[in-house]
Amino acid sequence: MYESFVAGIGLALRVDTYLYISVGLFLGMFVGALPGFTTLMAMAILLPVSFFLDPLLGIPFLIGVYKGGIYGGSIPAILVSMPGTGAAVATTFDGPALTKKGKGRKALEMALFASVSGDLTSDIITIAMIGPIAVVALMMGPPELAAVIFLALIVISATSSGVFVKGLLMLAVGLFFAMVGQDPIGALSRFSFGITSIESGIPFLPMLIGVFALPEIFIGIERKASEIIKSADLKISGARLTWAEFKSCFRTICRSTMIGTGIGVMPGVGQVVSAFMGYAAAKNASPHPEKFGKGELEGVAAAEAANNAVNGPTLVPLLTLGIPGDNLTVILIGAFIAQGLRPGPLLMEEQGPLVFAILVSMVVANVLFLFIGYFCIPLFARIVTIRKSFLLPLTLVFAFAGTWVFRGQPFDLAVLVFFGAFGYIAKKLHFDVTPMAMGFILGPILEYSFGQTTVLAQGNMLHYIFVERPITAVIVMGTPVLTYLMWRRSVRLRRELTKGLANENLS
Amino acid sequence: MSERINFNTVVAAFFVTFAVTLFLLIPFHIDKPLIVLVGSQSNLSAELFPQMVAASFLILGIWYFAKSFSIDQRNELRDLDREAITNVGVTLVIMAAYVFLMVNLGFVIGSAVMIAVMSTYFGNRNYYLTAVVSISIPMTLFFLFRRVLLVELPPFPIDIYPLTHWSLI
Repeated sequence: MYESFVAGIGLALRVDTYLYISVGLFLGMFVGALPGFTTLMAMAILLPVSFFLDPLLGIPFLIGVYKGGIYGGSIPAILVSMPGTGAAVATTFDGPALTKKGKGRKALEMALFASVSGDLTSDIITIAMIGPIAVVALMMGPPELAAVIFLALIVISATSSGVFVKGLLMLAVGLFFAMVGQDPIGALSRFSFGITSIESGIPFLPMLIGVFALPEIFIGIERKASEIIKSADLKISGARLTWAEFKSCFRTICRSTMIGTGIGVMPGVGQVVSAFMGYAAAKNASPHPEKFGKGELEGVAAAEAANNAVNGPTLVPLLTLGIPGDNLTVILIGAFIAQGLRPGPLLMEEQGPLVFAILVSMVVANVLFLFIGYFCIPLFARIVTIRKSFLLPLTLVFAFAGTWVFRGQPFDLAVLVFFGAFGYIAKKLHFDVTPMAMGFILGPILEYSFGQTTVLAQGNMLHYIFVERPITAVIVMGTPVLTYLMWRRSVRLRRELTKGLANENLS
Repeated sequence: MSERINFNTVVAAFFVTFAVTLFLLIPFHIDKPLIVLVGSQSNLSAELFPQMVAASFLILGIWYFAKSFSIDQRNELRDLDREAITNVGVTLVIMAAYVFLMVNLGFVIGSAVMIAVMSTYFGNRNYYLTAVVSISIPMTLFFLFRRVLLVELPPFPIDIYPLTHWSLI
């Protein structure tokens, strides 16, 4: 692994990689700063761009969108109390109050420095963690891989928003869609119903853009766009952040970074919970908790460091086991697959230097993040006023163009619209589409590993698993226990989040 | 807690029906292997995984059905008012028309028409800006995809020199 890391540093020394990361960061911050436009949507519609670039350009580009988007959401959250993304909701507790006090600039700069600090530290921890985990992952055979994927899918469904059984059903829907086309073992045609365009399977790119980007558009157009924010409200005023102020928040940033890093490794939890936990921890540890919610710089630092610290560690299960931890990493796995790279134990063995190069580029990206964020804050603040009547059709243009370039087939546009409508209806009926997308992406790998296990077991699966494969047996037996614990934890976190949100609104 | 039939109950019933349908479809919609290895002990059949998925639908559907009476959720589709339904419906029509226009008139013209129509419908009345945005953005995107990413978008349908001679641009 050390050799791969050193080779990775060599590979990462490319100017064009950082150029694309910068473009990704800029676009991410741009979309993140638009209320109602999520990072997920930005990543979904920009995913096709990464397909046609070298892996060392395309994947860092998307990671730039990811990082920039999470931070970008804090800008309207601080200035006009409208979180650009869900991850920035906790930032609205103190950000707007600081703006009212004439400390908007300080709040924005604190959000930027805390985000970059959290992101940078967690990226370095990710690099340190990924090697040993990858070594363990390499020891896994088909039965262990099938068991781990199964566990991950169940845990993601359990921790997805909403009712547990609804998450599991969406997972089954994803597995069903993944079955359309050919079976991964014998390449036998199935469920294509005579439609030639899906004989090799449902195209995953229109599906991903459809379920993740189009529902946001549909929700955005439920009300005709109206200008509710005056440009005057977006003036960045007040003095700059001082070193003393940043230093006073240093402990909080470190604490939130650790919280975010821990949450990032866990599947299905994500930035929103991390930001709330970071904020709550800072409030509890503060000698003057009564100031929180009334314009406390530490509150902004806590939430922003925590949500950005999730970004790096979410890649650990993705790169070592091939398991995306949330909907944003589902998009990233799509980018890897489109590049012909299958995240998982073998990726680290076969493409170790490339993986480390991507991780090293993420660390360097934080420096660019700091510069772009620092100099473009006033510009991103103005973005909030861009008319939705233009943004929505332009987003559609990106979504359709991205879908078209995938295979150049009009049928894919129909798939895009179908999954867009499906995602919208699912959202309205309180179904989370993340388990479905995960089932769709991981379904063929699960089926293939399961098929290999069945062949290896030679008709006696129970004996094979419980006698010859003790690790698989432990994972299989641990699945219900771990699922229950994760489900309980996510329910508790969601309850605390709702309670915290209600309390902050009251105060 | 509502003990009455609600949207979750209906969706659960749909999933149970879907599971049964899937079980019925499996024998007819999965190709049979041309060679069957006699004496294989693996029991690996192309129908095994689909049957497991169908069984999951059935079990989860029944569980969801039983639980649906105690789930306290609102059907947000029902909460949509006339404006929201009209806007979503109009957007779906615009999307369908956009697919047609993009394929038949090319990406730039199709997109320009779509942006102009949709932005006007959603309240924009600055027609000069509409014209600039609806032509410049698709043009820029077209060239970016073609020249930087080296991929194809539906080209202009009319052979206007030099527009179709992209190598000159």
